[in-house]
Amino acid sequence: MSGVDLTGLSILLLFVGLLIIFMAVDSRRPATFRPIRGYEALKGAIERAVEAGERVHLSLGTGSVIGTDCAPALAGLAILTSIAESTTMSDKPVVATTGDGAMAILAQDTLRRVYSEARALPRYSPTSGRMLGPTPFSYVANIPILLASEDISVHVLAGSFGAEGALAADFGERQGAFVLAGTDDAQSQALLYATAEHPLIGEEIFAGGAYLNVGRVHRASLRVQDAVRMLIIAGIIIGTVLSLLGVIR
Amino acid sequence: MKIGTYLLWAAMAVGTGIIVLLGYFVQIDQIPADSLIGNIFELRLLIMGWAVLLAAVALGIGLFNLFLVHWMKVSAQRPGWKYSAVLIVAFVLTLLLGLIIGPDSRVVLFLFNSIQLPVEASLMALLAITLSLAGFRLVAQRRDLISLVFVGTALLVLIGSGPGILSAEGLFFSFFAGLRNWLVQVAAAGGARGILLGVALGSIVTGLRVLLAVDRPYGE
Repeated sequence: MSGVDLTGLSILLLFVGLLIIFMAVDSRRPATFRPIRGYEALKGAIERAVEAGERVHLSLGTGSVIGTDCAPALAGLAILTSIAESTTMSDKPVVATTGDGAMAILAQDTLRRVYSEARALPRYSPTSGRMLGPTPFSYVANIPILLASEDISVHVLAGSFGAEGALAADFGERQGAFVLAGTDDAQSQALLYATAEHPLIGEEIFAGGAYLNVGRVHRASLRVQDAVRMLIIAGIIIGTVLSLLGVIR
Repeated sequence: MKIGTYLLWAAMAVGTGIIVLLGYFVQIDQIPADSLIGNIFELRLLIMGWAVLLAAVALGIGLFNLFLVHWMKVSAQRPGWKYSAVLIVAFVLTLLLGLIIGPDSRVVLFLFNSIQLPVEASLMALLAITLSLAGFRLVAQRRDLISLVFVGTALLVLIGSGPGILSAEGLFFSFFAGLRNWLVQVAAAGGARGILLGVALGSIVTGLRVLLAVDRPYGE
């Protein structure tokens, strides 16, 4: 049919097919992932925070749900699921903040679902998922007050950030908190590398669900990323060789 | 009942997601407008319009949530409640002024240009200091090869970007300018493309998980 991008649709179907295949083989052939220092340290930091009666804060960034920058925040919601499961029965459960109203509602829904599954719905508070400020810097300006007033000792940044992400991470470092930070923007990742104790580089932010055991779909999706990456690398190498040989231009 | 509700939300999310996504793969102007497929793609535009409207409503809910958090903090006089009180007063004052005399009025614009903009600009300025300190902290606390390469590269790019060096003549200056250009245009650009590729793959699978209703951030 003319007017249909068959290549794009084929690639999309390849992703779906690989996702289904890797989900099916997950129990028989479980994946072994390389260790990511930040995620490994996060588990211990959450346990220490729960035992000490301190709070975990997850920032979903300043990206909008309807924008192109919502993907890292959606990955952040998977991390929120895992953190919420670990802190549901804590005296001070996790707080999730964002710079977007719709993302705040998604954070509340995610938290409500985790509390409901843990049969602890009465402990759920709608203010545990909140919008701190509608603009990037008004959002960041509120972070030091939140960190100080809520006894936060674990500060996780998993969402879309611009330059303000560096300030958000640095406020956590100054508070003496455990800081894990990742985003999708390459330039902001460089800033987070300098300011955060545990930076997430590249696509590591999207691996949170798999590394924090949110479910087999998350493990399968990480394997899909690796498989497609290998195909792309093979394509680049073959294309380079063919170009050098003068077969293609 | 609960399963039925969950299925309804999931079906709505998957259905609208597929309609909007397919719009990116099909050239709509080549489809007759009065056909079934044409009507479905017209629906896509309507759905996207609704999404923008709902995002605006969500912003209102988010602001109400923000107000509620600080109101509770002031009521309970929890640590930092004085900052929350200032926020509530500023919030209510700005809202009332905006509603009564309009958001484009001189008073509201004066407030925005005299308070909001300088505060945000000063935070941006603070970023330069923060990053300089973070560079020193990185070398002091995280003494591994990657961190040293990171800080060394940043210093080389800074030296090569300086106005005196780029504009000056001589072998020493042209060496740093050339090194800076190679770092930015070859090494950094290549690395950034690799990162972007990984981020794109991660974004696609994250979107697919939501589209297939495996991840349901919209609740049960």
